[in-house]
Amino acid sequence: MDDGPAGRPQLERIPTGVPGLDAILSGGLLRGGLFIIEGSPGAGKTILGNQICFRHVANGGRALYVTLLAENHARMLLHIGQLGFFEETVIPDRLYYISAFRVLEEDGLAGVLQLLRREIQAHDAGVLVLDGFAAIEDAAASIREFKKFIHQLQAHAAIANCTMLLLSGAKPVSAEHTLVDGVIELQTKLYGRRAERSLQVHKLRGSGYMRGEHSFRITGGGIAVYPRTEALLASPSTVDRVTGPPTATGLTQLDRIMGGGFPHRSTALLVGPPGIGKTTLGLHFLSQCDEENRGLHFGFYETPAAISDKARALGLPVERLIAQGHVEIIWQPTAEGLLDEVCHRLIETVRRRGIRRLFIDGLQGFERLATDQERLKHIFSAFSNEFRGRDVSTLYTSEADLIGPMAGLPLSGLSLQGVSCIAEIILVTRYVELRSELHRMISVLKVRDLEINSALHRFTITNHGIVIEPDSNSAEKNSGASDTSGWKSGLEGGSGRPS
Amino acid sequence: MALILVVEDEYSIAEVLEAVLADAGHEVVTAMNGRQGLERLRDRRPALILLDFMMPIMGGPAMLEAMKADPVHRDVPVVVMSSLPESAVAKAAKSQYAAFLRKPFKIKAVVELVNAVLDQHA
Repeated sequence: MDDGPAGRPQLERIPTGVPGLDAILSGGLLRGGLFIIEGSPGAGKTILGNQICFRHVANGGRALYVTLLAENHARMLLHIGQLGFFEETVIPDRLYYISAFRVLEEDGLAGVLQLLRREIQAHDAGVLVLDGFAAIEDAAASIREFKKFIHQLQAHAAIANCTMLLLSGAKPVSAEHTLVDGVIELQTKLYGRRAERSLQVHKLRGSGYMRGEHSFRITGGGIAVYPRTEALLASPSTVDRVTGPPTATGLTQLDRIMGGGFPHRSTALLVGPPGIGKTTLGLHFLSQCDEENRGLHFGFYETPAAISDKARALGLPVERLIAQGHVEIIWQPTAEGLLDEVCHRLIETVRRRGIRRLFIDGLQGFERLATDQERLKHIFSAFSNEFRGRDVSTLYTSEADLIGPMAGLPLSGLSLQGVSCIAEIILVTRYVELRSELHRMISVLKVRDLEINSALHRFTITNHGIVIEPDSNSAEKNSGASDTSGWKSGLEGGSGRPS
Repeated sequence: MALILVVEDEYSIAEVLEAVLADAGHEVVTAMNGRQGLERLRDRRPALILLDFMMPIMGGPAMLEAMKADPVHRDVPVVVMSSLPESAVAKAAKSQYAAFLRKPFKIKAVVELVNAVLDQHA
């Protein structure tokens, strides 16, 4: 135990080394603490226990893995030997596996306690895992004896400065939960036919921790936990300057309509039906990237190759910017993804690459991943604060079936996604039908704290990208509100083609 | 029929070995760690020892060393068992052993190896 700044002893922690878990545990497990890791069979307890041991050893420590009624060591090592954290050469010198079940059978709880004391000392273990802990409770003659065992184990963990993990089946709150320093539960939940693993810390003495359920995966590298995005971003990065110049959208006419571009470090939402050109507008936005203003295309629908092809066909320099390292494209399929895993990938890329222009295509991708739609508004709000704090201008797309002359009402569904309320700018694109032809329209529905021209402007997609007509006259004609004799000539001036 | 000492801390493996070797016509005594294994040696001299590598209190290499230092038991053939590769066992074991058995093993392989080592040391 080290002394803190005020001279008071500080609680020392050992990092678990499990990606994401130490952030949830405020740095790791207490050194010399006693913890329960519980969950149903197949929840991942044994993998987690082993992973913590191997990481502790990789950091220069020593660990002891003790089994009771659990998988035999040969099978266990065969299974975890497939995982990335496994390093056979550290066994037996730095990581030692023993079984204590026969001792439990012959000498009871006292025998196990004695064995653990002796083995921790013999192997100088800083971490001990006791796998199959339920066998201890089964062997205890009374609850009192069981509680006494845990109490003695805890006392020894503290004296030996050895962090102990008791792996046990899931059960309601009981005696052992009140005695130990922390409880971590692993679960698997079904959403329709899809299963998702989650980790929840129920108790952690000595510090705060991220509450709630956090998703995790068991991959070839072992367990990776994805803390709840809204909890992870609870304290967003802060801005060093509050105001700044507007961010060019990549479309001169759109900049003009909005008084120079998107407000500095803003969140913009581009709404419209499929195929109208939302991705194309996003590519214009990214075409403004350079060394100082790196961009990210984070999409759910189109592959990087398809994006590059599209940009090339539109004459936009995205391929060159990718080659120069100024733009990165991340494609995130939604089939079996975890919402927080995807969010972490996005946040990590923005931080790592110092992204300044972020194009997210589109909101429905997050909706498909979310098992709880209510969370999305909190996540988008957290994104907005974090990205603004990192000097990022963000443009989201969202699909909406907008065909017809009236703007506004079709956006009501977006409030559920939580973006419409945090977006400083809302751009609406729509098709207007005229004489069996669809025409593209764009309007600026909202720019926070700014008087804007919210008129509809017709736009076309050419082989030089999007062209927005400078005035709204033709749009008025398309809406059918004014005389029908003039709109035809207004429309025929465009060279529209489907995107 | 031969007397075989199985020194193994894992209950399930010790049970299986005891049953299988008994079925093969051998008499089996068990110990759950190296120290208990040395105690069993004081009672009776086995024809062969199946010795686990990692055990509490006294592991396989320590028991092997202790019995090889004892003139009475140094000639008893020892088959070392481990989930680790033989290279890890060879590195830790300072004394000679007759054979190595990698876990997890198949029953048939155990019986064949035990009988082969017994034949060699008959």
